[in-house]
Amino acid sequence: MLELSFGATTILSMSTRNDSAEFQLNHALEIQGVKYRYQKSSELALSIDSLIVARQEQVVITGRSGCGKSTLLHLIAGLMEPNEGVITVAGSSMSRMSGSKRDQFRGRHIGMVFQTFHLLNGFTVLENVLAALMFSEFPRSEHRSRAMTLIENLGINTPNARIQDLSVGQQQRVAVARAIACSPSIVLADEPTAALDPEYTSVAMDLLQNACRSIDASLICVTHDLSIVDRFDRQVSLQVPSLQERA
Amino acid sequence: MSDWNIVTRSLRSRWFSTLLTAMSVAIAVGLMTLLISMRSAGESAFKRGTGNVEILISKESGPLASVLNSLFYAEAPGNSILFSQYDELVNKYPFAWTIPTQLGDSYQGSPVMGTTTSFFEVFEPAIGTSWSLAQGRIFETSFEIVVGSEAGKVNRLSIGDSLVLQHGAPKTAGGHHHDVYQFKVVGVLNPTGTAHDRAVFTNLSSAWILHAHDRREAQLGEGIHTHESDLIDSDKKITGIYASIGTRKAALTQILASLRRDPNWTVANPSSTVGNLFQIVSDIDQILLAMAIAVLLSSGVSILVALYNSMDQRRHQIAVLRVLGASKMRVFNLIFTESAMIGVLGGSVGVGLAVVSGRAVSSVLQSRVGVYIEPSLPLDGYLMILLATIALSCIAGIIPATIAYRTSVVRSLRHSVS
Repeated sequence: MLELSFGATTILSMSTRNDSAEFQLNHALEIQGVKYRYQKSSELALSIDSLIVARQEQVVITGRSGCGKSTLLHLIAGLMEPNEGVITVAGSSMSRMSGSKRDQFRGRHIGMVFQTFHLLNGFTVLENVLAALMFSEFPRSEHRSRAMTLIENLGINTPNARIQDLSVGQQQRVAVARAIACSPSIVLADEPTAALDPEYTSVAMDLLQNACRSIDASLICVTHDLSIVDRFDRQVSLQVPSLQERA
Repeated sequence: MSDWNIVTRSLRSRWFSTLLTAMSVAIAVGLMTLLISMRSAGESAFKRGTGNVEILISKESGPLASVLNSLFYAEAPGNSILFSQYDELVNKYPFAWTIPTQLGDSYQGSPVMGTTTSFFEVFEPAIGTSWSLAQGRIFETSFEIVVGSEAGKVNRLSIGDSLVLQHGAPKTAGGHHHDVYQFKVVGVLNPTGTAHDRAVFTNLSSAWILHAHDRREAQLGEGIHTHESDLIDSDKKITGIYASIGTRKAALTQILASLRRDPNWTVANPSSTVGNLFQIVSDIDQILLAMAIAVLLSSGVSILVALYNSMDQRRHQIAVLRVLGASKMRVFNLIFTESAMIGVLGGSVGVGLAVVSGRAVSSVLQSRVGVYIEPSLPLDGYLMILLATIALSCIAGIIPATIAYRTSVVRSLRHSVS
């Protein structure tokens, strides 16, 4: 059974295809009482009472623009700190970590895929994947072979091509390869199909979801694209807090 | 993939800016290194070039002119000393050795010194360096010439060549050729690294005969021939006296003081005169050094500006690295290392430039002044300059590195597209 409580200010609704109790025992992510306000505003931007994502679970987060979907991913990734509450990833509380520990933890346990991929321009495909492995737990001697295997498995034939010379589809493959390179516990995807043609969306999602399954990682995907919602184990709908809630 | 790869790739991706910045550092470091090395090398080369002459006696306007003209062949000495006066002087003071020298003629820009064979026997052109012949022998009779190594090279002279001397020192030469008298090259000297290398040497009688002939020709008309027997006392002139008191060093001050009391003589202790010369030019030297340091500081600012300007393009890369797990300190170190690398590159090229240009300057000075100045610093000196440059580059890198440290990952990702 999924644990999902309804926050006072942000309403989460859900649909599920998997009721297995295993998820309660194997949490990839646990959020408790998280509230976030933007620095220059006292208004509440995001409030989640409770959200738990099981290991290997694939969750899609939907909601209108401004409801805090991307903010939620940044909080989970430790790129932003919540004003209140606890975020636990793979059993470790991000809130209790120092900045550098959180960075190190992110490098080892969290992979990210972005709408515009955010690859390192000027670097090759191989170097982009190796860049992620720089911060992983894998021994340096294994980096190259691991990166090459990933690149091959994801169907990229040009490991030495520079990123700017690749098509959008190829860049997406590199972004996925980079996200799973360090065998993270959780992969966060922020609008991964928004930059793609509709006919490529399904291929891209297959690639991302299968890649996560291949390493037993959970996937949390933020999207506006309702056509991909059914591909996930669960949908979480994030809503914009009302004015009263914000105050 | 390592931090090093990221640093080098980043520098290469902005290669033109990196090159210009490194070059500005290199020029400043090169200039500073050259000035420092030339200063110490110049002073030691000039001191070295005074050889084992402890007392230089002439009738020049002052000790500095005396040293520059008689030992470094700067210009023809102005006033002459009668050889009889030289004899008197030598008998009056307890010198270990004295060498009379006569300057005033030249050959193809090379000064001609009339002297005695003692010049090659007791005089060391540089302390610890005696004369040695590359070819031939020292002159034995009149109209024989021994050629300094540089003079021989420049004028392509070898044993058996005949030459005609010209009246006047190299810079003022324009006087007539003493073409009645052919001189024959009998010896070529090995290099000594001193001004003497660009001179040619003959005995005093030859030099005197040339000028006595001019006098006699004016009196008796053309077509005459002058021999040593035709010389009168007033023909026998010299322009300088090299002297040493040998092992009795304690007597040097006393002899110098005694000689200086006689207003007829200009007396110099060459080593201290050269020291005084460099004391005089040290103020200019300090100004040049200050300018070089100012250029170095401005190149430090240029590193700061180059990196600072690149930060706008770099925010995306920094944000991506932070997403991948790089800590704030690690991205700080990346930018800091980039700055240090520019310092290493600029500093190394600068020191290299200083060594190469120093050799070029040295070569020009040797051929023009005859003094071999080897502009080198001890290894410690080069290392200190290099370390100072890297330290300066690191300081210049602090601001851009701090910007990288404080870069907001979320904002940078939002505002940039891959």
